[in-house]
Amino acid sequence: MSRARPIANPAARLALLVAAVVLLAAPGVPAATPPRVGPPPASKVSPEPPVHGNPEGISWGGHGELRLGHDRVRGTSDPEWFSVGRVNGFARARLAERWRVAGEGTWDRATDDFVLERVELTYRWKRTFHAHGGIFPAPLGRTNLSHDAPRNDFAEHSLVATQLVGVPNAMLGLGVRGAAGGGKRPMTYEIDLVTGFSDGLIIDSPGGTRLPIGRNNYGDNNGLPSVVGRIEFHPSPDAEWGIAAQSGPYNQTEIGGMTVDGRRWVHLIVADGATTFAGVRLVAETGVAFVDVPPGLLGLYAEDQWGASVEASRTLWDPLFGSWRQSALRVAVRGDAVDLDRGLRGDSRHRVSASLNLHHRPRAVARFGWYYELQRDRFDNETPQAGVTFTAATYF
Amino acid sequence: MSYGRVPQDDGRFAPQAEEPARAMHSAPRARRVAWLDPAVVAICALVLAPLGCGDLLTTKPPAGTRFDQPLDGLGNSELGDFQDGQTQFRRAFSISEGLGPIFNNVSCASCHSGDGRGIPTNTLTRFSRAGDLALAEGGPQIQDKAIPGAEPERLPVGGEVSHRLPPPVFGVGLMEAITDSTILAHEDAGDGDGDGISGRANWVTPPAFVPATEPGAGPGLRVGRFGRKAQVSSLLQQTVDAYHQDMGITSSFRSVENTNPLSSVVVPGLDGAPDPEVGGQAVNDVMQYMRMLAPPTPGEMTPRREQGAALFATATCASCHIPSLRTGAHEIEALADRDVALFSDLLLHDLGDGLADNRPDGGADGREWRTAPLWGLRIAREFLNGALFLLHDGRARSVEEAVRLHGGEAAGARDAFVAMSADERAALLDFVESR
Repeated sequence: MSRARPIANPAARLALLVAAVVLLAAPGVPAATPPRVGPPPASKVSPEPPVHGNPEGISWGGHGELRLGHDRVRGTSDPEWFSVGRVNGFARARLAERWRVAGEGTWDRATDDFVLERVELTYRWKRTFHAHGGIFPAPLGRTNLSHDAPRNDFAEHSLVATQLVGVPNAMLGLGVRGAAGGGKRPMTYEIDLVTGFSDGLIIDSPGGTRLPIGRNNYGDNNGLPSVVGRIEFHPSPDAEWGIAAQSGPYNQTEIGGMTVDGRRWVHLIVADGATTFAGVRLVAETGVAFVDVPPGLLGLYAEDQWGASVEASRTLWDPLFGSWRQSALRVAVRGDAVDLDRGLRGDSRHRVSASLNLHHRPRAVARFGWYYELQRDRFDNETPQAGVTFTAATYF
Repeated sequence: MSYGRVPQDDGRFAPQAEEPARAMHSAPRARRVAWLDPAVVAICALVLAPLGCGDLLTTKPPAGTRFDQPLDGLGNSELGDFQDGQTQFRRAFSISEGLGPIFNNVSCASCHSGDGRGIPTNTLTRFSRAGDLALAEGGPQIQDKAIPGAEPERLPVGGEVSHRLPPPVFGVGLMEAITDSTILAHEDAGDGDGDGISGRANWVTPPAFVPATEPGAGPGLRVGRFGRKAQVSSLLQQTVDAYHQDMGITSSFRSVENTNPLSSVVVPGLDGAPDPEVGGQAVNDVMQYMRMLAPPTPGEMTPRREQGAALFATATCASCHIPSLRTGAHEIEALADRDVALFSDLLLHDLGDGLADNRPDGGADGREWRTAPLWGLRIAREFLNGALFLLHDGRARSVEEAVRLHGGEAAGARDAFVAMSADERAALLDFVESR
């Protein structure tokens, strides 16, 4: 059970990360260049949510998901059979020609937590360049940026999303978003200074390093920002590739005026992609995390984590019946895995899922799903878990 | 809500889908598929299969093949207590919940794999100096982990050091229910029968926090039966000390934090939880859980194993690894008045220089060890990644290696084993590994 070495020189790593993101993002902000980016590729993941109210004034909406399930752990049924999968509400307002404000809150069963996902003020400097500040989803992978319940092909988010990124993962900060490139091959980017993760990922986490427990660091526990950035390419109308990274200190070095530890860093890199091949929509997301663990906790808390998911989906019938023009039936399969301690054999989860999705009307879906998961503890003992689920999700 | 990742200037935050009524279905728009398209049928069958196939929803392991199963014959109330205790046993503590300031691991289950034995990387290190517990130097147990702001203990130079593999926790209630007189009946401290084997009990004094009503408690010396040297007489003491020493969790029984006496760092309240960090109920739940854990069912007795059992007896292995002891009265009916096939006499034996740790523990000297129960060996590898770690520090990777490392009073049995033919040794090992 040899362990990986701690990350060497976190400051240098951060500097490289920032430099890379800035350099890559720079072509997108030439002030004098007329915007060349036309409408982006129409979202092949899902449509925009319906918006109530006045889009030019105050508007609102939301989505929710109910879950009926029969889950078994090593042959023993879980007594919980009904739950709210996730629920979300949002409101937004146009304050002036260039100013927008938005608020959003989400509760998600996977992370069992309510997250204030957005309290965001946006200034539209130009059509392809916006500045924003407040609380907003960290651009850490496509799932964190787009996780509305009715959009998902599965009742559960992938393991990399829930166990590594901690979807929904929102942070307090400020930054810019923009677009660059031609209309046919646009590139979008975002770079922000955010509060980052807190030392909850260690201190509040029983049984090992868990980044999602260090989320919601709205107050910033250490007064030092993290940098998070994302670049996304659209090489063709139905393909997109993105890479995102976050780096920053997570811990407090003093408690009650007493120095308790040195500065410690967490780095998270997430890459994702989506494309269509032979009528099958392929979506993948992978992430890797590096955590600088206090020396007294080495061996119990992971310095290195990794996860990935690949899913394939296909529309079988569209419409389902000729007379039911707005219906469609889709099938999707996914394999995902997360290794929560790469320095150890064990502490990992592997899962396969399948889902049959009836979109009986736009912006709503009824899913029948099955999953089978193997959880391994820190001794590498295996616990199988499986279930069938029926979920219904809709925008309000 | 999801914002498009390309800013727009049309009054919306995100691009308008080309055709909202359609866009949910994702592109590309599929051609209409025949209802009996084999691919579609196969996919639907795959999704619907779990409804009729239990294997796809996991199955229960066969009875008696796990270490975390309750005893047969428990009442509903006792099973409820068992569940509560299992929750506490598996509860991992975070720093904000009280873990530390110095500790070895984060939960009971973190040391006892599947409620079985531990592995060499999570052995505990016991330390003493000339028989003294060396409290001022971090004894009697070295806590090698520490929360931020605290310093883990380091093993001092010199003194007596003993590495202890976490033992299995199943069946300890049955061990507790074996009466003192049953154990003492097998004593032969002076080797009166001249067979070279002289088991003796480890008489220990239970700490004051253990109520006299607890088994193994009360005034005066009591027969120790838990721990590698039978240095503990009470299951409650074992549980409280595990919380306090192994996890740094204070309880109403031991409410003062364990700290590193050699550290210059002052760490009051560093772990963020007020003391005591767990109540007496949690400790009691864990104790009751362990008490009601059943040993796994032994394997079937085949003719070859019958031969092995006979060889086990003739080689005098069974003189210490007594196949069965009987319990006495107990408040949990499932523990009372039954034969227990633990393959141990729960007595101390000199196992020779090779296994000596030279560290006294209670009444046990540095060469003595309590006879290790052999139950559960049948499935032990399943909870250790296929490996096996035997003897007090896990140094033996097979039963045969463990036998060959025996010395002292067990030298005769070892030599008898070595003198057997390969086939006989295989039969004996098959028997032992089927228990």
